[in-house]
Parts: sequence; structure tokens; C-alpha cells
Amino acid sequence: MKVPRKSQVAVEIATAAVMEEKKKKTESSKSPLATETVSKEEKEAQEPEKISNPIEELSENGNLEKEPRVKGNEASEDEDFAGTSGNDDEHRVYSQEDQDEGAEAHLGVEESDSSEDEVAPRNTIGDVPLKWYEDEEHIGYDITGKKIKKQARKDKLDSFLAGADDSKNWRKVYDEYNDEEVELTKEETRLIRRLLKGKTPHAEIDPYAPYVDWFVWEDARHPLSNAPEPKRRFIPSKWESKKVVQYVRAIRKGLIKFDKPKEEPRFYLLWGDDSSSKEKSGQGLSYIPAPKPKFAGHEESYNPSIEYIPTQEEINSYQLMYEEDRPKFIPKRFESLRSVPAYENALKESFDRCLDLYLCPRARKKRINIDPESLKPKLPSRKDLRPYPVTCYLEYIGHKDTVLSISIDVSGQWMASGSTDGTVRIWEVETGRCLRIWDVGIAVQHVAWNPLPELHILAVAVEHDVLLFNTGLGNEEEQEKIKELLHVETPTAPESSGNGTSIVSWIQHDKHEGIMLKHLKTVSSVEWHRKGDYFSTVVPGDDSRAILIHQLSKKLTQKIPFKLHGLPVSSAFHPSRSIFFISTKKNVRVYDLLKQKLIKKLETGVREVSSIAIHPAGDNVIVGSKEGKLCWFDMDLSSQPYRVLKCHPKDITNVAFHRSYPLFATCSDDCTAYVFHGMVYSDLNQNPLIVPLEILRGHRSANGRGVMDCKFHPKQPWLFTAGADSVIKLYCH
Amino acid sequence: MPKHYRPPGKKKEGNAAKYITRSKALKYLQVTLPVFRRLCILKGIFPREPKKKVEGNHKTYYHMKDIMFLVHEPLLEKFRDIRAYDKRVKKALAKKNKDLADRLLTRKPSYTLDRLIRERYPKFIDALRDLDDCLTMVHLFAALPAIEKEQIPVKRIHNCRRLSHEWQAYISRTHSLRKTFISVKGIYYQAEVEGQKITWLTPHALQQVLTDDVDFNVMLTFLEFYETLLAFVNFKLYHSINVKYPPILDPRLEALAADLYALSRFFAANSKATIGESQMVTSSGSEQADSKRKEMQTDESELRLAQLQHQLPTNEPGTLMHLIEDAADGDDDEDVERRECKTLFKNMKFFLSREVPRESLLFVIPAFGGTVSWDGDGAPFKEADEGITHQIVDRPTQGHKFLSREYVQPQWVYDCANARIILPVDGYLVGRVPPPHLSPFVDNEAEGYIPEYAETIKRLQAAARKELLPMPGVDKRDLDDPQNLLLEGVISRAEANEAAEKKRKMAMLEKQYHNELKMELQGVPYSSSVSNDNTESAVNDTEGREESLPDPDQIAKDSSSSMSMVVMSRKKRKLYEAMQINKERKRENVNKLKERKAKAAQGSA
Repeated sequence: MKVPRKSQVAVEIATAAVMEEKKKKTESSKSPLATETVSKEEKEAQEPEKISNPIEELSENGNLEKEPRVKGNEASEDEDFAGTSGNDDEHRVYSQEDQDEGAEAHLGVEESDSSEDEVAPRNTIGDVPLKWYEDEEHIGYDITGKKIKKQARKDKLDSFLAGADDSKNWRKVYDEYNDEEVELTKEETRLIRRLLKGKTPHAEIDPYAPYVDWFVWEDARHPLSNAPEPKRRFIPSKWESKKVVQYVRAIRKGLIKFDKPKEEPRFYLLWGDDSSSKEKSGQGLSYIPAPKPKFAGHEESYNPSIEYIPTQEEINSYQLMYEEDRPKFIPKRFESLRSVPAYENALKESFDRCLDLYLCPRARKKRINIDPESLKPKLPSRKDLRPYPVTCYLEYIGHKDTVLSISIDVSGQWMASGSTDGTVRIWEVETGRCLRIWDVGIAVQHVAWNPLPELHILAVAVEHDVLLFNTGLGNEEEQEKIKELLHVETPTAPESSGNGTSIVSWIQHDKHEGIMLKHLKTVSSVEWHRKGDYFSTVVPGDDSRAILIHQLSKKLTQKIPFKLHGLPVSSAFHPSRSIFFISTKKNVRVYDLLKQKLIKKLETGVREVSSIAIHPAGDNVIVGSKEGKLCWFDMDLSSQPYRVLKCHPKDITNVAFHRSYPLFATCSDDCTAYVFHGMVYSDLNQNPLIVPLEILRGHRSANGRGVMDCKFHPKQPWLFTAGADSVIKLYCH
Repeated sequence: MPKHYRPPGKKKEGNAAKYITRSKALKYLQVTLPVFRRLCILKGIFPREPKKKVEGNHKTYYHMKDIMFLVHEPLLEKFRDIRAYDKRVKKALAKKNKDLADRLLTRKPSYTLDRLIRERYPKFIDALRDLDDCLTMVHLFAALPAIEKEQIPVKRIHNCRRLSHEWQAYISRTHSLRKTFISVKGIYYQAEVEGQKITWLTPHALQQVLTDDVDFNVMLTFLEFYETLLAFVNFKLYHSINVKYPPILDPRLEALAADLYALSRFFAANSKATIGESQMVTSSGSEQADSKRKEMQTDESELRLAQLQHQLPTNEPGTLMHLIEDAADGDDDEDVERRECKTLFKNMKFFLSREVPRESLLFVIPAFGGTVSWDGDGAPFKEADEGITHQIVDRPTQGHKFLSREYVQPQWVYDCANARIILPVDGYLVGRVPPPHLSPFVDNEAEGYIPEYAETIKRLQAAARKELLPMPGVDKRDLDDPQNLLLEGVISRAEANEAAEKKRKMAMLEKQYHNELKMELQGVPYSSSVSNDNTESAVNDTEGREESLPDPDQIAKDSSSSMSMVVMSRKKRKLYEAMQINKERKRENVNKLKERKAKAAQGSA
């Protein structure tokens, strides 16, 4: 039953394949078609040979004849199914099959012999891909199991020539499976033609034959099956009812809505008329609005003025800049509006702005928009603070080299100066006359007058020595006294110093009628006590002998009983009390000489202290540093500087207070000296007033040094400055 | 022990408790980065800068309150729903359950942003203040093509276009446009709405350049918010002038891409319904007027039809609007600037050629009180209209010219709008290179450099202002003055005054210059003398003083300034120095400009 069906299908496939091949042929070569009629007779002559084929055809026809019918039946069945309920589906299907079988059996008589007549395919490999045999010598096996050899391939040219000669060539179809050429019969070609036209392959078949209902029979009252209807067909489905309940509940709850939601107007009056309603922002954090982008300037115009367009060189120079510095926008000029192209960075810039908006941290920054001049502090008028030194009044010329130190006599009549040319000179202040010259031969580090008006003694620091000169001023009486003081019994020095090791030896200096104190190391400065009997010397070094205090009357030298921290730079006596200041490079230490203990440590905070000066009242100290900073300490206030002034670009070489006027001065290597007003009030609640008054210029730089020393006149508001250009200047008000 | 060790029982304090890094915030909120980003954009939450960055310097910190603010955001839940929904749809599709997928697709969870807008901008004025970015973005997207790849549908582009036109229509209608500027980047506009200056940038109406280094997801999120915001703002604004929102446009004009005109027609129609045809523009030819009237009537009826189709009651809002408008007009009289803007192009009729940027000009000209038409369908009047006073063209030459009108380049309109006067058209005629287009946003005085053309405009402005008050007496013309050539006709008298004034000024300037020279010879730095060069009397005063006290006073001044530098605290001194550097940089810039200009002048001469 099944077998013929299969073969039938196979034939169908074969015809389809044939048809395909055919189609190709007809398309490729139309000329053979034209010759068809011509060669008709020949074909007819050939027909007897192929007599078996029509028979085959016929048998097939029988098959084919059957097929559409069955199909039609099925279609009608389907319609029936659609009409009836699904319950008796199976039943009906079975019945149909039965009928089918019956029909087949009925036809089987004619069919059987024809199918046996059919020539079985030579090859028996079955439905396998033919490419498996591509490389083999055989195409498969025949029914006895022998290999079927491949036929020798004709080359293309030969086959073409053969085709050209043979008028029947167009009917030939190559059967790949059996490796042979099959010639289509006339019947077959006709069949193909009909198929191409979309008709039934065989003309004798009517596809629209009236429908015969196979399921109508005489006794149709009886059902096909006698089985009783099952109960389930009569009771409502439980599952369905459950589903219904589910839906009902969903509808009641409003989960399922049937009507589409009404289109509400999307926009409405969001901000009511009374915008006074105070709505707190939900977070309590201040909203920081994003800064607005910068407005476009003239240079962004499509037609900027000519001066906004950079020249080609400038544009080229942009390439050498760093990426960040490079201008982002290069102005360009367009002749007319129509020639302006779309801006290529529009999207990018918009995107960047978006990124800024949501990625950049925002913080409120106070931006002051003030006139820079208003930053400057309001100073009291300088006219009110007069007198103070303003202009250069006198120059003392005579030294050959840098004047390192000057000192003014208490009376204000004389001035002493020491220079690196190895001379110490005494000048008359008011005339500029050089009174006296001592030639010590070596650079003079420091000179200092004795503060007592009746003792005209000058202390001079020269390398390892401190010389005490009698200047020879004053009346006879005074001279006597001085000479007495400046007399040393020669041998005493080593013994008096005691302890075997002599710190300093006091030697009578014969040449200049004075005393020479021999130190072990270079002496950098000499400072007198206010009473004129003691003086201190600073010998820069790290040991305990760095600072020595000498007593002139007893010709005694003693070490200070304190431990020094760091390299001493300079020292000073308190102007009224027995307090001693020692400045090391970082700090200034204040000692009480009577109690012999540290009172205070002033922290300057500068890198290197160069000089120190004490206010005549004694409570304020100024310290100059090598980085050009001036620190004012109010010792009652704190150990930190009350005020730090950065006035000089170079080292401050010296600082000085005026004895009576509220003035102080700094001098520096940048060839300038500053004069300040430094008022200290007796009221402790009032802070000192510091006002810069004047910059004194005039000195010239020599060897990289500028002004080396500055001293005030003891009575007048005059300032003396000693310069590296070997000139001493006097500035008067 | 680590630096910021916190014993186990103790709570975090200070910055560690107040701020949270972004990654921690993500964990805390249990969202992905894209969702977090979206939320931040919509809620307007931004990172903040803690004083002390506990977790490290290179991290983004959010304030804990901000994050808590996000935690309670219903949108967060909504986003989760949407995500779940997407999964369901995907699953249904993957299982070929088309029924379910279809059913799901009809029920996509949606959200609205109006609550967020209300929250971020409690008052209308706040929204206006933040509108700059919004407008710029919407206008940019209105000019973009729809990009399938980036999920920018046509609908959104159209929406952006519509919104931008609605905004422009409002601005134009209320005459609140203040400044315009054509830059290379596009056209900047500045409008003043409820006292807020709103500046935005529209790109040139050309095919935009698409770059691939932008993340459209971010931009679209912003756009989503901005679209909603602008729609609500537009609603409020339209409501304030009693026009129905959203406006119903004439479909014909819409199809012709003349939305702006359609909008203005919508405004007009609302008011015209009651006034009737009295508003008709009087034109010379009666038959032309007739034809135009007919045309307008047909237009009118079409528009009415469109409105009827949308079932819109046109009459009532129209009457109301008319009333309100009158009232508003009364109010406007107080606002000088608005009146100035409204009457700038009054009684002027413009015609736009094909090649000029139509949309921009259709916006700007009515905003300044002019009437405008263009070359194309749906235009209110044709090119042949006799009443046209100016034709805007942007081509090398104009073939056929009507003698009754001026042919000017579009820049003229923008320059006039910025200067608020009708500039002489000579420089802007067809085929000429127009004078430089200057930015109205720059404060020339603050910048320290005034371009030449800015000065010319200033002079013209001064002349125009004087025209209003008659000045008898001074009536002689100074023909030497080259500026006379610029101004003809009506303002000639004013010009004469101007010239005389100028001459006087010149004399004064010369005098001053000599003084300055003298001072320079005396060694006085320029800066001090600049301070007192304003008036003649002042100059004289200083002169007298200077001569009596030539040198020391000046030096004293100079040194006193440096003296006070000494006393300044370091912080202030540094600030001062920084300011000086800034000043110096500015001066350098100005010098560079001057130098370039001199070079250019040399080159041309």
C-alpha cells in the first residue's frame, strides 16, 4: 500500500527535476525548439523503441489520477472538521483512512504489474549525497552489488560538438544518479510544457471533477463508532471556570481594563498663578545652578573685524603650544552669510556641556570683583609722620673699598667707619671731614663707639682681634681716664683668664695706643653695654666660646653661661635692663644676665637671621633676615613675630632703631634702605604702628653687595648708610 | 593602624559620613551606572566637592542627602519596573509567544516628568533661569537628522522642532527678543522673559555634522527632560498671553515647513476673529489688495477649517486675547526697551530671497515689529508687492531690481536689531562685503578695546537719539567730516550737531593729548594721568596742580603705592599680583588686536 505511494512521490520529484533541467535548456538554447517540428518524423520513427515508456506513463497516470482526488477528499474533510466539533476528529480520520485503503486496494490490480514493469534504477546507493562518489571511480553499486563504473567523461568541446550534430540533443537530460543520459520522450516534453503553464500534467485529467462524498452511504444513520460519548463532553470544564474566575477578579480589581485609558492632556499649567507658594526643595541642600556658558565674543562672529583674525604665523605658532594652552577656537572670516558652513563641533560641544552638567562637582566659589587698589591698606599720611630721612644730604668719600660698618658717636658729632681696605676712619658728621685714619691692614669687620659720652673709645673688630682705640677726642680729663683704662699690664692676660686655656688675651697695642683682644677665631661683631664697661663679641662658631663678654675696667673676659643652640649671628644688650639678646640663625634667645637664665625664645620663622636691633624702650625687637624679610617682635605679645614685612628682594644686611624718634630702618644688598615709622605706644593694649615711609636709593652695587650698614643719628632723624661702593651717605629730612 | 581608623561601634562622622563616592552610591541604590546616570540627569543631581576627600582624591563624591533624595524617588522603582517589563517582552518573544508579547506591548509602563520639573523648579522664574541649556539643546536637535542607529526617532526631532518654534513664536509675538548674533557656531539669541535674560544658540540651518564621539544616550536623557520642561514653560507662557496650548497649526503651512509663520497666524487668527478685517495691511494697488484679501481669506478659512477639525473653539479665546493684549499693550508702554524693540521695524515690509536663512529671519523681523514674506508657497505677499521696503538677499548680484526697495544682506537685520536703530544700508548692499558683525554680548569698555565699527554704531545711535529732541541753533554742516557721507536725509541735522560736537571733542582731545605729552616728558607714568582725563575741567585742574608740584608729588604717589605693598599681608599681596597679571594679560590682548589692526591698515594702504 505504502510502496506505490512512495514511488509515486519519487516520480513527481523526478519530473520536477526534469522540468528544471528542461527549463534551463529552453532558456539556454531556443534554436533546438525551433527545430522540433522538423525532427518530428524522426522522433516518430524512434517511438517504437521506447514503447515501454508510454506504458509506464500510463501506469503513472493512473497514480496521478488518483492523487488529486485524495487531496480533494482531504480538503473536504477539513471543511467538515471545521463544521463539526473537535470530539469526533479521530473517528473521522480513521474512517477516512479506511476508505483510502479501500480505494487503493481497488486500484491496485492495474497498478501492480505496471510498477513491476518499471525499470529499477541501475544504481542502488539510495538517497545519499552524490558528492560522496565524486572522487571515486564508480558511481555506486548495481542490484547484485557490483560496482558501476563511471562513464568516461567527454570533454566539453566533444560534448558540444556532439550536441551540435545531434538534433535530438535538446531532449537529452543527464541523470547524475545513474550516470547516464536520458532522452525525454515526446510525451514527457508535453507533460513538462503543461506543468510550465500551470496546468495539470495530463490533459485527460479534470482537476475540478464533481466531488464524490465518500462518507455518504445508505445507512448513514448509524455512527461510525458505537462508543458512547464520554462524560466530560457534557460537564463544564473546571479549568475554564477557574480561568474565568481569575479574569473576573482581575477585572474587579481593575487589573484588566477594557477601555483604553483616556488621553489626558500631557501639559498643563504646572506653575500656578500664585508662585509665592513656598515649596521646600526636597533635600535641604542648596541648589547650585550650573554656571552659564560664556557669551560669544567678537571673535566668534562669522564676519569679525579684521583685527580678530590671527595671521598665518600665529596659527602656526598655536601648533607649538601645549594642547591645553592652544586656543580652542580660531576666528575665521566669511564673505557672506551663505558661505558659512555647519559648525562641525556643534554636537560635541553640546555633549560636553551635558557632561559638565551632570559630571562636574559644583561648589560655590566666591569671586571678588574689586578694584585691586582697594586691597592696599590705608596708610596714615606720611606728612603727619615727619620728620624722617628723605634725601641724601652728604657723602663721605675716602674709603677705597666696601665700607662694612659705621658707628656714630653718642654726641652725634663723630662717625667711625670700618672698611675692607683695612682702614678705620673717623669723620666729622656735619662737614664730612675725615678726622683720623687708622690703618690696621686687614679688613675691618665691625666698629662700635663706646656709648658713654665721656669715654671716646672705639671698638674695632678685625679678623681675630678686637682693637680698642683711643680716638683722642674730648678734653684732657677725659683723655687721662681713657688712657688709664686702655692700659694693660702686659703679663696679666693669660693668668686672669684662668683655667689654663686662655679664651682671649688682652694685649697692649703699641702702634695705635690701645688694647688688642686676641680671639681664637674671627670676630664678626662687637656690641657695647649701655654703661660702656662691658662689651660682647660674637665669634661665629658652634662652641661655648662663640659669644664672649668682656669687661673693660677689669680687663676680664668671660663666657656666657648659656648653651647656645645653633650658630650665633649677632648679639645685643637690652637698652635699660640686664637682658642679653643672642640671635642664632633661626631664633633669637633672650637671657637675663643677673638671674642667668633664658627668658624667652623668639621664633622668627625666617631662613637665616642676619641682624637684630632692640627698640629703645626694650620691649620690641626687629630682626632682619637674609631672605629680605623683616620681623617685628613685640615681646609682651608673643614669641611669634607681630608683623613680618617682605620689603627687600635681597638680603637684609642690617637693621637699626632710632634712639628717640619712632623710626627704624633696614638696609639691604639690593642697594636700597627702607625707613619705617615704628610707633610703640605706652598703652599695652595698643599694638605698635608700622608704616613704611621711604625708600632710600643712591648706592651702587659692588661685588654683588649693596648697602652694608645703616645707623641713625642719635639725636637727629638722619640716617647713615654705608655702601659696598665705598661711600657713606647721610640722609636728612 | 590606618589613617582614618574608626572603632567598630562608632558611626562615621564628618565628611566620611556626609559624602559617598559614586561606586558606593551605586551599590547603595542597587542600580546600574546607566540608570544612576539617568536618574541624576533627570533629578538634577550633581557631584559635590567635599572639603576633605576621605576615599581618595580621584573619586567623584555625592552628598549623602542627594543620594537619599534618589532613594525616595518613585522614578527609581519605575525604572526597575521598566527593566522587568523589557525582560518579559524579550522572553515572550524568545519563546515565540506572540500573543503575550503583543499584550505586553500595549501595557508598557510609562512615567512622566512633570513632578520632577515642579520639584526642581518650584517657581516659574527658576525654570526660566535654567532655560539656556534647554533651549540650545532643543534647537540643536531640531536641526539634527533622525538617526536610526542612535535611536533618535523622527518623532522626537519633530517634537523638538515644534517646541522650538512655539518658543520662538512666543518671543516674537511678545517682542522680547533683545540681542542676536550670527557666529560661526550658529545664531545666538538673547530674549528677556519676565526679567530673565535667556540666551540660546541655534545651529545654522544646514546638514549638521555628526560625530561618533558623543554618547547619544546621555544627550537623549537630557533632551527628554528638556523637552518636557520647554513644553511646560511654553504652556505657561502661552497661558500668560491667553493663547491655547498646544497651538493648532495650519497643516498646509506646516507641510511647507513654515511653522513659525503658521504659529504667528495662529496667534493672529485668535485675535483677528473679533477685529475683523480692519487690520488689513494697506497697500498701494487696490486690486492687489483685493487679491491679497482673497488670498488671506482663503488662508483664513483653511486655518479655521483646520481648527474646526481639531474641534477648537476659536472665538472665545480670541476675544479674550484681544482684550488682554490691549491691556498688555498698555502695560508695555512703561517698558521702554520692549517698546523700542516693537517699533524698530515698524512700517517696514521685508521680503526674503530663497538663499537667506528664512527661519531665523522669520523669527527676528516680526520680533522687532516688521512684516515679512518669503519666496515660496504660503507666503503672505509676493515679491512683486509694491509695499516692500527691504528685500533681504544674499547673492553676489541681483538681476532684476525694484527701485522702491533696498536690497540688503541679512546681516543688516541683525545689526539693526542689536543697535536698535535703522542703520544706513550702504554697507550692506548686494555684492558688497558687509561691515564686521560684532557681538552684542561684549562689554567693550570692560574689554578695553572698541572695534571701529562699534564706535560708528555708537555714534549713529547717539545721532538717532538726538533726533527725537529738536535742537535749534546749531545747524551748520561740517563737510570735512567723513562721517557725513554715511548719513543722509532725515538725520542730517542731527549729524551736523554730531559733527560739531565731535569737532569740539577733537579739540579737547588734542589739548589733552598735549597735556599728556607734557606729563610724559616730565616722567609721569601714563596710568596716573588716565584717571583724570575725563572732562576738560578735570584736565585743567590736574594741569594746574601738576605744574605747581611737578615731580615729587608724583614720585610720592608712586612710592606710596609700592610702600603699601610692603605692609600687605602675603595673601593679599598674592591676590593683588594675580590681579595685576590678569590685567596685564588683558592689556596684552588688546595690544595684540591693535597691532593686528595697524598691520592690516598698513597692508591695505
